[in-house]
Amino acid sequence: MRLLVVEDEPALRETLAQQFRAAGFAVDLAADGIEGEFSGQEYPIDVAVVDLGLPGKSGLDAIRAWRAAGRSFPVLILTARDSWQEKVSGLDAGADDYVTKPFRFEEVLARVQALLRRSAGWSQPLLKSGLVELDTRGQEVRVAGAPVDLTAFEYRLLEYLMLRAGEVISKTELTEKLYEQDFERDSNTIEVFIGRLRRKLDPDGTRQPIETLRGRGYRIARV
Amino acid sequence: MWRPSQSLQIRLLATLALLLLAAAGISAWALDALYRDLGLRARQDVLEAQIVALISSADIDSAGRLVPANLAEPRLATPGSGLYAEILSSRGSWRSPSALGSGLRLEARPAAGERVFEHASLADGTRVLGLSLGIRWEHADGSSRDFILRAAESLEPWYGEIVRVRTWLVSGSIALAVLLLAGLAVAMRVALKPLRRLESEIADIEAGRRAMLGSGWPRELAGVTGNLNALLAGERKRLERYRATLGNLAHSLKTPLAALRGLVESGQTGSQVLTPQIDRMQDIVQHQLKRAVFGGTGATLADLSLIEPLEQLRGALAKVYSDKAVRATLAVAPGTAYPIEAGDFLEMAGSVMDNAWKYCKGAVTACAKPWIAADWRRPGLELDIEDDGRGIPPAERARVQLRGARADESVSGQGIGLAVAREIAASYSGSLEIGDSPLGGARVSILLPGR
Repeated sequence: MRLLVVEDEPALRETLAQQFRAAGFAVDLAADGIEGEFSGQEYPIDVAVVDLGLPGKSGLDAIRAWRAAGRSFPVLILTARDSWQEKVSGLDAGADDYVTKPFRFEEVLARVQALLRRSAGWSQPLLKSGLVELDTRGQEVRVAGAPVDLTAFEYRLLEYLMLRAGEVISKTELTEKLYEQDFERDSNTIEVFIGRLRRKLDPDGTRQPIETLRGRGYRIARV
Repeated sequence: MWRPSQSLQIRLLATLALLLLAAAGISAWALDALYRDLGLRARQDVLEAQIVALISSADIDSAGRLVPANLAEPRLATPGSGLYAEILSSRGSWRSPSALGSGLRLEARPAAGERVFEHASLADGTRVLGLSLGIRWEHADGSSRDFILRAAESLEPWYGEIVRVRTWLVSGSIALAVLLLAGLAVAMRVALKPLRRLESEIADIEAGRRAMLGSGWPRELAGVTGNLNALLAGERKRLERYRATLGNLAHSLKTPLAALRGLVESGQTGSQVLTPQIDRMQDIVQHQLKRAVFGGTGATLADLSLIEPLEQLRGALAKVYSDKAVRATLAVAPGTAYPIEAGDFLEMAGSVMDNAWKYCKGAVTACAKPWIAADWRRPGLELDIEDDGRGIPPAERARVQLRGARADESVSGQGIGLAVAREIAASYSGSLEIGDSPLGGARVSILLPGR
């Protein structure tokens, strides 16, 4: 999942980036509203966390600009004042949820995951496909009830496929969404990771949870 | 360049002085012109009467001159009397004794039946007005002869009178203008006295010698002073609240700070022991921030139409609780409005509606309607928010509202919302009541009085 953090306070921005990366996100950073608006317009962002009080251009204006340009990824706003006036204006501008500063990272993460899930059409935090279960709250994966141990990148890959279950996802899209802007991309890596995921989810090769569509990409069945 | 004075009084007086001067000048000039015109007519009438008297007493003498038989006017007989007459004919002329040595010379020689007035001067410089009348004397034999009759009168006494009248006019006008200006200045001092009182009372308020403006203001100022007093009262309330908030904040941060100090001094610095204290301080700060948000009642608040903010809140809550699929009904009587600051209303309604969304099973209603009472010129507001959750048991109701009334009693999560809403309502002299909803859950009513 690719996440954009727009926050002018460097310490908070870096902490958020670190924690989101640890939680398996590809994180893009912007320090002001103008840079933030550009990143939201130009990069394939899945979700954005936006501080409302920003230099250059306010967070509200950036969100309005994204929505006006038809960008529909979910947006979580960070408000300094816990006032309904600010919450209402943020949600009115096109944001989807809010967190009041100061916050615990777990709360922000839970909100972001809920937004991603909702925008993908899942109403429960537990994603299911056949015997594979993925719990977005605890980042746990089980096959037929037995926990499976995945690396952070493998989890990210599986979560992305399961959130978009039923859709064909190309290798290019996976590279774009799972790597950050500055990373070197190599679609062969995706193939390697898909191979590892398959072995972990289906060691004896009987269920084939991840389908390969030659020349088009991968798909997980939505059941 | 002349710069208008900063004093209203001086500006007004200067303008009025100019106007009065102009008015006095014009009226004096008009009176003078009228007086001169009437005076000249009178002088002309005198001359005509003299000529008529001459004709009626004159007769042709042996030499063929026309001569008055007797002089009815004694001034004609007295030299230098100021009234002169002469009769000219081709056979010689007659002059009144008064004209002897006067050097009177009139130029006009009118034909028979004509008359000419003219101004002339005597040898000694005396200015005179003369009238010359041409007549044709018809004899019994049908022959006729032409004569010119002349009368002249000195204008000096009249000119003297004109100077006197002008002096009177000018000095009278000036006196009148001065009197009027003085009267106006006095009137203005009297009229502006309440303003000076206002100025000094405001200065007293600034200096802290007085808390409010007094009473007994004239009608024109009562609105301003009433609003100023309301503003002062609002500011004082706000200040008191800030003081209380700061006091509470400082007081309530002491305990966790002391605990932190104790932990650090005893060498316990692990995040597990420190985090609860930090969380507690965070809750306290958040709680006080929330309470500081609302502004309270200002002196002159515009009516806020309530349907838009309620719809904004419904939209916002629908997003925040989108997992719940809440059926939310808004019922706002058309034109329902109340003089409340928009941020205060959003905070108050938002806190209560947030609770309703949080605890409902699937249905929330918000109903706003005017609250009418006989002695209010403007209606109050009743806002009822109901849900179909578990409700709040009667025993809990008072506690839920009071919770967080002081920061050191604050508990994050449930309760802060209602306490904040109640405090905002109270700052508008209103109240918050908790009851049961026909939907099955809680019914929170906010009642704000009218004025």
